[in-house]
Amino acid sequence: MWWYIGRRILQAIPVLLGSTFLIYAMVFAMPGDPIVALFGEKPVSEAVRSQIEQQYNLDKPFLVQWLLFLGNAAQGDLGVSFSGRPVSELLAETIPVTFKLALMALVIEGVLGIAAGFYAGLKRGKLFDSTMLVASLLVIAVPIFVFGFTMQLIFGVKLGWAPVTVGGDASWDRLIIPAFVLGLVSFAYVLRLTRTSVVENLTADHVRTARAKGLTDGQVNRRHVLRNSLIPVVTYLGADLGTLMAGAIVTEGIFNIPGLGNLAFRAIQQKEGPTIVSVVTVMVLIYVVMSLIVDLLYAWLDPRIRYA
Amino acid sequence: MRTRRSALAGVALAAVASLTLAACSSGGDDDNGGSESTDAVITAYGTEPQNPLITTNTNEVGGGNIIDLIYAGLVSYKADGSQELEIAESIESDDNKVWTIKLKDWSFTDGTPVTAESFVKAWNFGAAAENAQLQSYFYYPIEGTDDEGVILDKGTEMSGLKVVDEKTFEVTLKNPEALFPLRLGYSAYYPLPEAAFEDMDAFGKAPIGNGPYKLDKWENNVEAVMTPNEEYKGNREAKNGGVTFKFYTNPDSAYSDVQAGNLDVLDQAPPSALTTFKTDDSVQAFEAAGSVNGTVTIPESLDHFSGEEGNLRRQAISRAIDRKEITDKIFDGTRSPSKDFSSELMPEFTADIPGSEVLEFDADEAKKLWAEADAIAPFEGKFVVAYNGDGPGNKEWVEALTNQLKNNLEIDAEPKAYATFAELRTKVTDRTIGTAFRTGWQPDYPSVYNYLGPVFGTGAGSNDGDYSNKEFDKLLSDALSAEGDEMAKLLAQAQEILFKDLPAIPLWNTNVAAVAAKGVENVEFNWQNKPEYQNITK
Repeated sequence: MWWYIGRRILQAIPVLLGSTFLIYAMVFAMPGDPIVALFGEKPVSEAVRSQIEQQYNLDKPFLVQWLLFLGNAAQGDLGVSFSGRPVSELLAETIPVTFKLALMALVIEGVLGIAAGFYAGLKRGKLFDSTMLVASLLVIAVPIFVFGFTMQLIFGVKLGWAPVTVGGDASWDRLIIPAFVLGLVSFAYVLRLTRTSVVENLTADHVRTARAKGLTDGQVNRRHVLRNSLIPVVTYLGADLGTLMAGAIVTEGIFNIPGLGNLAFRAIQQKEGPTIVSVVTVMVLIYVVMSLIVDLLYAWLDPRIRYA
Repeated sequence: MRTRRSALAGVALAAVASLTLAACSSGGDDDNGGSESTDAVITAYGTEPQNPLITTNTNEVGGGNIIDLIYAGLVSYKADGSQELEIAESIESDDNKVWTIKLKDWSFTDGTPVTAESFVKAWNFGAAAENAQLQSYFYYPIEGTDDEGVILDKGTEMSGLKVVDEKTFEVTLKNPEALFPLRLGYSAYYPLPEAAFEDMDAFGKAPIGNGPYKLDKWENNVEAVMTPNEEYKGNREAKNGGVTFKFYTNPDSAYSDVQAGNLDVLDQAPPSALTTFKTDDSVQAFEAAGSVNGTVTIPESLDHFSGEEGNLRRQAISRAIDRKEITDKIFDGTRSPSKDFSSELMPEFTADIPGSEVLEFDADEAKKLWAEADAIAPFEGKFVVAYNGDGPGNKEWVEALTNQLKNNLEIDAEPKAYATFAELRTKVTDRTIGTAFRTGWQPDYPSVYNYLGPVFGTGAGSNDGDYSNKEFDKLLSDALSAEGDEMAKLLAQAQEILFKDLPAIPLWNTNVAAVAAKGVENVEFNWQNKPEYQNITK
């Protein structure tokens, strides 16, 4: 097992190298000169331009810029944003906020999605099942910002039950509505995935055998149906944490949460190479780690999937 | 000029300003009951400063709003744009070229005195190439700098600045300029305390100023908290218990906060609320004329757009545009058709300048002018207007405008989108754009001159279309050494020439479209379209 974990971690290295290279190439290919943008509509003196280019290595060829970034990053130096603040500091401020938000969303979608999906699967074809299927379709079809603004209007502005925007105080209770909005789409997927899986498992051989042994419905459903149905759901949830952190851009914008999504948004607007690459690298890292955890969970859920 | 680089684009800057401040809220919230309090802290919409809070390096609104409240300059502006002496005891010159500035006894919030050195060192810091400051452009009138305001030959001191004694210094300009004192209220000309030069990076995070407020806390991406500076003795004294800028990335969520009463002032209603904010009962709405203008620049280098033929075509295009229709239908009346090349908020504004009738829509006249130009040399090809797609609403109005040209002139006209403001500006500054393009201006100081000199003067820094007219240049330089009515007259004459040559086609001015929470009082907008934050109470 340890060897397996080690190997997976080593595999992450080429993934990170490749992704930073690609992101750097894309930032480099973005049209327009960041220095011109920095000065707005005012002219830039050549002397000032060369000074700034040197400072941010913008005068060097693309490959050299990337290697310099990598070299510094390996030593823990992620560079400086145009605002003069170290990128590592910006990440340290924003990652915890977004992680908290994404984790809450994950718990909400996981718990609600599995519970509702499980029940819908058991009561296939009944009212609850049909309602959930229609509702989940609706949730998937409507863009997330529509839900975001609607919830903000209803719970924040009209009813006053929740803060309209989160701002600096990102405490658990203030994040509930944003986390719910963020997790809503994934909730629909988790529900559908669980339901289908439960329906399939209900007619599986091992479930029939379990019933034949004389186990009660509850025991069968919990131990044999649910546990086996969770495998695809766990895969989905694992990969989803990464998606949630990246997808927080919209939700963080609506609820004004100072997290990773907002940071990424601003960095892209200002074409700040080091910041964009660092934010994306963090997101890639999260994906890599989550897929490792998913694989380990597999082995626990289904002993047949053991690694050699 | 301060840019809202993000949404903004170009000049699209935000709106704001006004003298005639029309509160169009449905009323009913005037409680006259003395709930007004001088110690209430006002919360206002802000954006995370894009740069450290250094006066010479902050050229965008997010940081600029804070800087303007924590610093005081030699002069300050009243809401209507007229100026008053602030720290300066006197600003005098015999020839408009060498200016002697004497200071009052003021100090920074760390207790150190504001001296002649505080100004001279700050400006030299801002203009030195090695410091690469974003506001360096503003020093270009001073002797010893290049056309972009950077000290010549990588030097560190401008030859035009001289400390006479502790409270006196002398500024020598490249050319006589009667308007020079008017510039001095702008943030690039604020003083910096000695502490700044010890470690500018650290200072940028916790600046020490001399203005009506002091910065208590700047929590990155969250808020900037300012409390009144008790030592301040200038013209802009705080009438509230402090101002807190809450940072947003999305003005829509700020609008929701105003509706719920969690935010007191939002100086730009988001595009999504522009049609509804005036009738929204949950907020107070403000709408008034603004100073930011929008134009389409047609470069002199464009085929068929120079000489007599070019003038005829430019006038034809101007007359073929129905400004009223676009401002009503696309901007929902949040912009007003241009009356000249500046804004009616400027002190020298003159209505009905001869030639300004080219701003009036007249399709027949437009066709006639175009035909006259065709008689000189027939026009072939397309008339293309470039814009940046990241500026809100740009696509819609450029499309409407080119459609009007198509219909009214019967020519092939079309929009061309650039993805970002940076891309458009890069093409414009390296002169490879090859088409007409959208431009605009936000004044740095309140004068019609500021809309003309830097934009249309021969070789001027923001003369993106490379316009050049000797007669116009002469009138401008005469205006600079004149005063009062005489100056206003010369500026109007200069605009007369512009109306003939039309280096850029004036389109409209962006109105103030702002909201405040119920119960917030004394919201007034200045010539820069910004709220006078220090006067707001609740």
